[in-house]
Amino acid sequence: MVGTEAYVTLSAVLFTIGAVGVLTRRSAIMIFLCVELMLNAANLALVAYAYQWAGTGLLTGISGQTAVFIILAVAAAEVAIGLGILVAIFRNRASTDVDALSEVRL
Amino acid sequence: MVTFAILASVAVIGALGVVLLRQPIHAALSLVGTLLTLAVLFVTLQAHFLAAIQVIVYGGAIMVLFLFVIMLLNIEHERKEVQPWLRWAAYGVGLVAATGLIVGAMLDPRQAPDHAVVRDTLQGGHPRLIAEVLYGEFMLAFQLVGVLLLTGMVGAVALVQRPRPQRTSAMIDERRKERASDALEAGGR
Amino acid sequence: MTGDPVSWAALAPFLALAGALVNGLFGARLREPLPGVIASVAVGAAFVLSLVAFATFGERDAGVGVRLWEFMPVAGLDLAVAFHLDQLSLLMMLIITGVGALIHVYSIGYMHGDDGYARYFSALNLFVAAMLVLVMADSYPLLFVGWEGVGVCSFLLIGFWYRQKQNPDAARKAFIVNRIGDAGFLVAMFLIYRTFGTLTISEVNGAVGGFAFGAAALTGIGVLLMVAAAGKSAQLPLHVWLPDAMAGPTPVSALIHAATMVTAGVYLIARSAPLFAASPDASAVVAWVGGITALAAAIVAFAQTDIKKILAYSTISQLGFMFVAVGVGAYWVGIFHVLTHACFKGLLFLTSGSVIHGLGGEQDVRRMGGLRRLMPVTAATALVGTLAIAGVPLLSGFFSKDAILLYTFSSTLLADHGSLVLYGLLLVTAFMTAAYMGRWYLLVFEGEPRLTAESRAKVHESPRVMTVPLVVLAALSVLIGYVGLPSFAFPNLIAPWLQAATASVPFDYPPVWAEWLLIGVAVLVAAGGLALAWWVYALQSGRPVTRFGSGRLAAFARNGLGFDALYRSAVVGPSEGTAAGLALLDRDVLDRGLAASVTTAGFLARAITLLQTGYVRNYALAMLAGAVILVLVVVIAGVRA
Repeated sequence: MVGTEAYVTLSAVLFTIGAVGVLTRRSAIMIFLCVELMLNAANLALVAYAYQWAGTGLLTGISGQTAVFIILAVAAAEVAIGLGILVAIFRNRASTDVDALSEVRL
Repeated sequence: MVTFAILASVAVIGALGVVLLRQPIHAALSLVGTLLTLAVLFVTLQAHFLAAIQVIVYGGAIMVLFLFVIMLLNIEHERKEVQPWLRWAAYGVGLVAATGLIVGAMLDPRQAPDHAVVRDTLQGGHPRLIAEVLYGEFMLAFQLVGVLLLTGMVGAVALVQRPRPQRTSAMIDERRKERASDALEAGGR
Repeated sequence: MTGDPVSWAALAPFLALAGALVNGLFGARLREPLPGVIASVAVGAAFVLSLVAFATFGERDAGVGVRLWEFMPVAGLDLAVAFHLDQLSLLMMLIITGVGALIHVYSIGYMHGDDGYARYFSALNLFVAAMLVLVMADSYPLLFVGWEGVGVCSFLLIGFWYRQKQNPDAARKAFIVNRIGDAGFLVAMFLIYRTFGTLTISEVNGAVGGFAFGAAALTGIGVLLMVAAAGKSAQLPLHVWLPDAMAGPTPVSALIHAATMVTAGVYLIARSAPLFAASPDASAVVAWVGGITALAAAIVAFAQTDIKKILAYSTISQLGFMFVAVGVGAYWVGIFHVLTHACFKGLLFLTSGSVIHGLGGEQDVRRMGGLRRLMPVTAATALVGTLAIAGVPLLSGFFSKDAILLYTFSSTLLADHGSLVLYGLLLVTAFMTAAYMGRWYLLVFEGEPRLTAESRAKVHESPRVMTVPLVVLAALSVLIGYVGLPSFAFPNLIAPWLQAATASVPFDYPPVWAEWLLIGVAVLVAAGGLALAWWVYALQSGRPVTRFGSGRLAAFARNGLGFDALYRSAVVGPSEGTAAGLALLDRDVLDRGLAASVTTAGFLARAITLLQTGYVRNYALAMLAGAVILVLVVVIAGVRA
């Protein structure tokens, strides 16, 4: 059985790949996709630790999985809204280029 | 061990695909691959229920949504970079982050728990056990998630509404005239 | 207020203060001579109160205390605004209000037509109020309040005609030099409190007996009080302000710089008599400073050509006499000379004011002469004053100066500190006094007139409002001396009266024949001085007087024996240099530095705006980088712990 560190390492790698993707991609959809990747990486880490802590007691172990469950629900809602916003923007500009959407100036 | 190695490689390759592939459809499908791999990994971690949910929700709902939007909006692949330094900065930060996290993980070696004990405790992440915690300990969180989903539904619907044209009196007059001329034409024929 | 008439005198300073307020606040609306009348009435009323108190004081042996209100009730020290009225303070009050009232009346005429008429009288009244507080105070801090008050009024009045630059300069000089003395006063008060635990004068004087004769603490306090007195009474080396103070109106010079304020130093020492009587070293300092000052000032007076400057140096010299008197332990003699000096020096200043006024502003004696026929009353009274100060027998100056000489000769307190040498010094100075005062009189009033054409056109005797005070003061100069006849042969009224309020020091009185001899010597000296003046300045009646002193010694004397030059190079020069250096520092270093920091701030601000690109991805990169750093720090540090 592989130790928890391996799973956490994998989670870290996936997370950073997702982060780099967020910064590198220019289309809003692609950025969104990478955010989903990051979320999943976090889920993996949680489940791995849930497994690790299950040895000490039920509540600790099962709480990790419950958290992932909730995160999944949140992610679903978030995707719905996010894609809705994207569609609305695309209607206005016919482009999803993030750099062109640079009106967030302080 | 071998299982894990294979699964991990597939996941990483899928992730790299998401980041590096040009066409959005390809990237989305690559992500689906990664998600399914992750589901398998959940199974190895005694989270069978979660694996099922992952496949159904992520793969079956979220990614479908993504693909629909990509196809609907006919998103093209991206053009040239405006700020080339950003790419390298991102790689640098990513490298630092990855190394740091891995080092952090490695620095804390824990005793791997007894597989039998965990299997008995978690029972494969049995839905009953999750439900007991969800409706007991995390009741508030559960309710809040419900509110969140409701908000999401309402918001999504509101966002994609086409703006209704305002019915001003001028437009009503114009509409009446159009209908009158149409009726005239139809009556004339 | 009790029913005791003596305590009513406590009202006196408040009357003067009221006069000052009225003239100060409403003076601009009052027409001449109303402000002058108000001021004179205020001081006159104060004089009446003082006179009543003096008359009813009688044979009491203790002073009357009048406690007005709490001032500083702190742990270990209970200061109140309270007055202590005894023989010494009542006598000083009489001098201040009496001579003061005369000078106020005189000023009504002298300041006629001046723009600042009301301002003048306001300041003059304020001065009288402060001086009264000074002499009536029962504690050193309250005395110091009066001390500072007269300093301020002196400043205001010296620089009265402030539009000409040299007047406020002179006022500033007076104030600054006085400050040095004030520093001595403050340290003395600290020492007094530390030594005696109280600052009330009567308590301090009573506690002196508990200390050894010549104790170091007492000597220290005495020397510091002398520093203060030297500043206020223009003794070496703090005398440099008095000649410059002649820039003020002449009545001011008469009242403040001859009769009253400058005698505050003598008063301070007489008030603290028990302390000085118990410390021969401190008293020696007092006497020797006074003696050397007297001689030096007399030398300088010879070479002066300004009618008022001669009198200014004469005042310094006479104050030196007073300090010698209190230094050798004859406290009543010092105060007695204060009394006579107030009369004849006040008179002399007022006559010179009359001359200046009559000649339309001329002050140089080289352009005067022969005024006896043109201004007879002024000349006659000036002659009386001159004879009095020279020490001609039967005039007041003779009695007081002779007393000083006698007591210096027979001092036991300073027998080991060269009292006989002091005696010789004073004798020489008395000779010179007679000589230079004779010179003064002869140059101004006798001989052929050397007036300029415009003076000749304007010359007139002064109006009655100015000449009447002259006559009164002349009469006083003659008569006031009779209260202090030499006690070995005649009834002396003032000595026992004042001695109760000061201290009694043993003296080694010479036999009666020796005392007569000493009197004869003094008379001879006075006569000799006057004869010398006559010989040099009057006998040349046919030829024009040309001897004004043109040698190098004379020039040196004219410049005040180099004291001003010394101060300039030692104090003023370095101060101005430091100030210029600091100004340079401020302008070039600080201002430029501030401007540079402003530029830097602007530069930094513009640099920071580069961060605001508006690109979401840049922001995302920044967020990620920050989050990564934070998490790594926490994870690694936490894990390692």
